[in-house]
Amino acid sequence: MSARRTVAERHEDGNLADRSRSLSAFPDTLERLLRPVPSDTEIDRKALADLLLGLARTLKPDIDGPAVRAPWVDPRLAQLRTLLLGREIEALARLEDPQQFAAAVGRVLPAAVAHSDEQLGQSLAPALENATQSSIRANPQRLVNILYPLIVPAISKSIGETIDKTFQSLNETLKHSLTWRGLRWRLEAWRSGKSFAEVVLNHTLVYQVEHMFLIHRHTGLLMSHVAAENAESQDPQIVSSMLVAIQDFVRDSFSGAQHQGLDALRLGELRLWSEAGPFATLVAVIRGNPPEDLHGMLTKTLSRIHGEYGLLLENFDGDSAGLHGIETELAAGVAQRMVAPLPTRTGFPWFVALVALVVLLLAGAWGIHGWLSERRWEDYLARLRSQPGIVVTEAGRHDGKYQVGGLRDPLAIDPVSILNTVGLKARQVVFHWVRYEGLDAPIVLKRLQASLDPPSGVTFAVDGNRIVAKGSASAAWLDRARAAALLLPVGAPAFDVSAVKNTDAERDSHWVRYLDQLRDQPGIVVTETGQRGGKFVVSGLRDPLAADPLVLLGPAGVDPSRVTSHWASYESLDPRIVQKRLQNLLNPPPSVALTVEDDTIVAIGSAPSLWLERARMAARMLPSGAPGLDLSQVRDISNEEIGKLRATIESRAIRFDNNEMLPAAGQDDTLDHLASELNRLSALAAAWHFTIRVMVTGHADTVGKGAFNLSLSLARAEAVRALLKKRGVDPETLAVRGAGALEPLDVGTSDTARSADRRVSFTIDLKSQS
Amino acid sequence: MLQKKICMVGAFSVGKTSLVKRYVQSVFSETYLTTVGVKIDKKTVDVAGRTVNLILWDLAGEDDIASLRMSYLRGAAGYVLVADGTRPSTLDVALSLRERVRTEYGPLPFVLLLNKYDLTDQWEIGDAPLADLRANGWWVRTTSARTGEGVEDAFQHLAATLA
Repeated sequence: MSARRTVAERHEDGNLADRSRSLSAFPDTLERLLRPVPSDTEIDRKALADLLLGLARTLKPDIDGPAVRAPWVDPRLAQLRTLLLGREIEALARLEDPQQFAAAVGRVLPAAVAHSDEQLGQSLAPALENATQSSIRANPQRLVNILYPLIVPAISKSIGETIDKTFQSLNETLKHSLTWRGLRWRLEAWRSGKSFAEVVLNHTLVYQVEHMFLIHRHTGLLMSHVAAENAESQDPQIVSSMLVAIQDFVRDSFSGAQHQGLDALRLGELRLWSEAGPFATLVAVIRGNPPEDLHGMLTKTLSRIHGEYGLLLENFDGDSAGLHGIETELAAGVAQRMVAPLPTRTGFPWFVALVALVVLLLAGAWGIHGWLSERRWEDYLARLRSQPGIVVTEAGRHDGKYQVGGLRDPLAIDPVSILNTVGLKARQVVFHWVRYEGLDAPIVLKRLQASLDPPSGVTFAVDGNRIVAKGSASAAWLDRARAAALLLPVGAPAFDVSAVKNTDAERDSHWVRYLDQLRDQPGIVVTETGQRGGKFVVSGLRDPLAADPLVLLGPAGVDPSRVTSHWASYESLDPRIVQKRLQNLLNPPPSVALTVEDDTIVAIGSAPSLWLERARMAARMLPSGAPGLDLSQVRDISNEEIGKLRATIESRAIRFDNNEMLPAAGQDDTLDHLASELNRLSALAAAWHFTIRVMVTGHADTVGKGAFNLSLSLARAEAVRALLKKRGVDPETLAVRGAGALEPLDVGTSDTARSADRRVSFTIDLKSQS
Repeated sequence: MLQKKICMVGAFSVGKTSLVKRYVQSVFSETYLTTVGVKIDKKTVDVAGRTVNLILWDLAGEDDIASLRMSYLRGAAGYVLVADGTRPSTLDVALSLRERVRTEYGPLPFVLLLNKYDLTDQWEIGDAPLADLRANGWWVRTTSARTGEGVEDAFQHLAATLA
């Protein structure tokens, strides 16, 4: 195209007019020259040379053909090129400048885009997306500003409807949550897995779309109307116009509503919902309580109608021809209804009655249970109050539990243990007790029992305002009981133990008697008596010569095993004891009697002078303060008979023959005399409190050896003792010795002298007994 | 079926309501006029065998032209301009109303009715101004809501113009 125009331009050039005319004679050549060579943008120099040659020939036919060879690089060629293609080269150079190129493209771009096919859109889409993305990233606020007026109304409307829906659901749920029907629906919700709110809505949203109006927005004229079978209304054409008029009225009357229509009207149970489209408004007249979802249905219907009848709606001028199909759409809307489910049975509601009965029974049982509980509680409180040692000061119910509190003696009955007797459980009751000491007789009795631990033989009993103990108990326990009785607080009942028999009374009387006896004893001073650890204790001073206290126990009737005695020895100056001591010390002969007279010990009778001497010495040695010893009434008797007997016995001798161990013949009479004399002496000595010792001494004559004579003399003494013993003499009083020939009677060697030396002699040793 | 929105326009108490009350199918009470400011009626007219439903918007009469809610005229196919023949000022009102409608909604078809023609002794509008109007191509008719004179004719004419 542009090439042709270039040629045409050339025609306009005056200086080339002729030449072009001749050029037209070579259309082939020209075509060839101008034919685009796809592979080589350079000019086909060969062809150009031929063309120039051709041109030359037309001007001057004699020019040789191929002989003329233009050099490949010829300045003239370049000149020619400039001449021919100068403008194009210039135009192309302009395209090299990006700014000019951009300006050129900019001029044609809108037209090019307008005529482009969809491929352009696809190609541009990624770039546009990137551009949009980076633009938003760079300045999000701009997008917000652009979108805000568009989106916010849509969002607020949507949110509003959602909130309405929520409130509707909430209202219905609350309204039905506690009714019998609500319970049934809860069951249904549980069975079907739906939410309770959903079930409630399903049942409560009883509604019917009675009319659907499709109204032309601009004129307010009715385009289509469908009514439910049973619905009545005035002329729909008038009604629809009136609706529009009212919408206009609202729109005019209240600021802020200029661009919005009425969404909903409500009068009693009749609702009027309107959805506005670009050309038509869909109005639904609904009786009842429609779900908010119905809005969505209206919107969908409206957009379907717009999609299908868009052009007809836009150009509507009151002629409803061609719009009959809309009625079908609206009819679908009118079919929207929800009827209240009819009760499946109209008979007696057995189930309801049964449930009601069960509920009644349960309520009754609960009521009775509650009443019984109250009764039990009252019963329990009464019992508690009657308990000694428990003072109920508060009782009531709190936090579902019974509460009781007050004062309680630790010895009072455990309040928990009474619970069982009235049928209450421990976990039902909370106790608040403060401890105190009760003065009720039963509690004091308990306390006494706990503290005194009475023996099995003792029983306590309440008698009026007294506690009386009966039975028998030990004296020790009685002492404790009496002490306890004295310690009872003021106001407490008296404790009477007088009726308790003392099991230790007899024992005690024995003891007292024993002690009395002890005190009467001379030489015994009782300093302390008592009972310790179940035993009698006595201690004091005792003269060794006084009576033995232990010995006294038996006669007094006191068990020695229950007595502990502590005696310290001392010397008593009691006359009776002093008399005893003297008696022991002096061992007076039977002829002397020591008696106590006033504060003096008087010796009466007769006694040998030997004894008298000792008695006088003893009297002198008595301690000061002690009673004196009066010896004045003792007669000093001589020892005549004893002396005679002694002399007689000592003068006697038993004769022996030479070399003989046995007495010589004729000595038996002597022996007999001797025996009776000795016996007599013994008897006398015993009577006078003397001891006698008779030395029987054997002698031998000087003939013979000394050793022999010694054993012979001893043998002769033994023989005599045996003979005396034989004659009734106590051998204990007889001592034997052998003197040999060392104690001759007469120093001489005559036979007479010798014969006199062969003998056994007697010496008597007389000692006073001590 | 053809429907057309027609507005009744005119000054206060020129008899707009009476015109439609007697000769049109009406479902709404007149209180609508005082409450909502508009009352819708329908006049069915037969034009060359075709039923044309004229949906009549009766606006509350206003003496103060400025207070007329022009939005009610939106989408109207034509209008009925009413004046009271016994009060020439109402004709002026009608004329200025017509001017406002024309400014707002362009040249809509209309008819001018001079009502209360039955009150002949009080009639004050001469034929001259009417002739002028007719000469301008206006369809002018004297009517009487009481006798019914000219009413049918007027609606018939308007319907024919629109159909």
